[in-house]
Amino acid sequence: MAIITISRLDGSLGYEIAEQLSQKLNMRLILRDTVISDWMAEAANGYQLHMLAESPKFYLTNISDGVSFKDYIEARLIEEAEKVPSVIVGMGGQIIFANHPNAIRIRIIASDHIRKERLKSKYGFGEAEAEKLILQSDKKHKKYIQTLYGIDWSDTKNFDMVLNTDNLSVNQCVDMITVLAASKDSLTASPGFEEAGRSAFAYDRKNIMFKHPAEEEFATILDMYGIEWEYEPRTFPVQWDAEGNVKMAISPDFYLAKFDTYIEITTMDQKYVTTKNKKVKRLRELYPDININIVYKKDFHSLLKRFGFSGEDEIDEFNRSENNSVQ
Amino acid sequence: MNLTGVKTILFSEEAIQKRVRELGRQISDDYRDKHPILISVLKGTMYFVADLTRQMDIPVNIDFMSIGVYPGISRKTGIVRINKDLDINITGRHVLMIEDIINTGLTMGYLVQNMEARKPASIKVCTLLNNPFKRLMNIPLAYVGFQVPDIYLVGYGIDYNQEYRHLPYIAEFDEDEYKNEQA
Repeated sequence: MAIITISRLDGSLGYEIAEQLSQKLNMRLILRDTVISDWMAEAANGYQLHMLAESPKFYLTNISDGVSFKDYIEARLIEEAEKVPSVIVGMGGQIIFANHPNAIRIRIIASDHIRKERLKSKYGFGEAEAEKLILQSDKKHKKYIQTLYGIDWSDTKNFDMVLNTDNLSVNQCVDMITVLAASKDSLTASPGFEEAGRSAFAYDRKNIMFKHPAEEEFATILDMYGIEWEYEPRTFPVQWDAEGNVKMAISPDFYLAKFDTYIEITTMDQKYVTTKNKKVKRLRELYPDININIVYKKDFHSLLKRFGFSGEDEIDEFNRSENNSVQ
Repeated sequence: MNLTGVKTILFSEEAIQKRVRELGRQISDDYRDKHPILISVLKGTMYFVADLTRQMDIPVNIDFMSIGVYPGISRKTGIVRINKDLDINITGRHVLMIEDIINTGLTMGYLVQNMEARKPASIKVCTLLNNPFKRLMNIPLAYVGFQVPDIYLVGYGIDYNQEYRHLPYIAEFDEDEYKNEQA
């Protein structure tokens, strides 16, 4: 799992570097706008969203059970970044991921003069407007970090690399960050860095239609542990008729490539698992090199309970409706 | 001493120490001239790793890790995070993960993946207790103290709700009896 945090000054080309980096390394780009409009909308009402945009202190407001907006964002950033390799812009990423073994923390700076020239060119500002913008922007960034974390936003000790774009291009910065990432073993050894596309697909549940809610819950548990999985990647024929046509086959629900193990989830009551047991037994006989484990209802519910999911009733209801439709 | 819920002793103190001595000798032989790092997963392994390493007659480093499951905010389940990371750099080193009991294998799977990303020379797993009946994934276990049935156990570092770690033996635990007493 690879994480690159980018802290930048307005006009320093930090956003452009983050964007190009995410494209080059096939990593997801997480911006403050994403967090506010997509994630925070789940936890905050309209007024709270407005206040979060205006006041850093509001991030310390309690949402529920002692959890503040700051805590929410941190937990969510960590959760999301550990699922999909991510480039995270701003939001105190250099502090949130300070001790993360798979993170590198970058700061992009430029002189005030160069920053103003870039803003004037980009937005058609005059000198005074550009000056005002960088002052306000710097003040805002500084206040956010100081309020939430009590540290100096510009303290270079919080970064692994600081790049001055006065004389460095976006491409050069992206190349240097890539080299740093490549030299940090834990980052490049992460499947997310080397095969970002594959990992992104594997974890992108929006593209997966789980046939059963239990499978989605199980995938969540695997994600929690950072265990890569594939959903029904292979079908094993286990019985043929006299003409060689496949009469019975099994597509195990999950394959954990790292552990070379297939997993079949069954949440049916014991009286309905006979067929499944038969299929798995045949699979083991016909394909002795294949590792497959069945997770039965009791163990599955035990797992859910362990991790705080209370969806047993939903799963049982789903199973009942499946049985009724078959009959 | 209140031992509510503690039932049949599966492994006595003597049996445990005898097996730990055997493991210590075996690991010493296998890792001679390799100067391994034993990474112990807190807290359940504290007695095991202390006793095991004192039975080893080779140079060895010891480090500790702790992981936790943190509740999610908008999700029903949480995330696994490292609470206490390693102090020693394991790149290029021979690593032996030490665990008290492996059930589903999820925790060890997470740890092995995490360790492999740091490019050790080798990584193997030693567990005091192996419960294969709950195993979700294929995790090769180089060293196993005892195979156990699919029951709840306490003692010798293994706890129930942070209790009973201090017992010098490993016993079956009746969770319902404990909860009824607490109610």
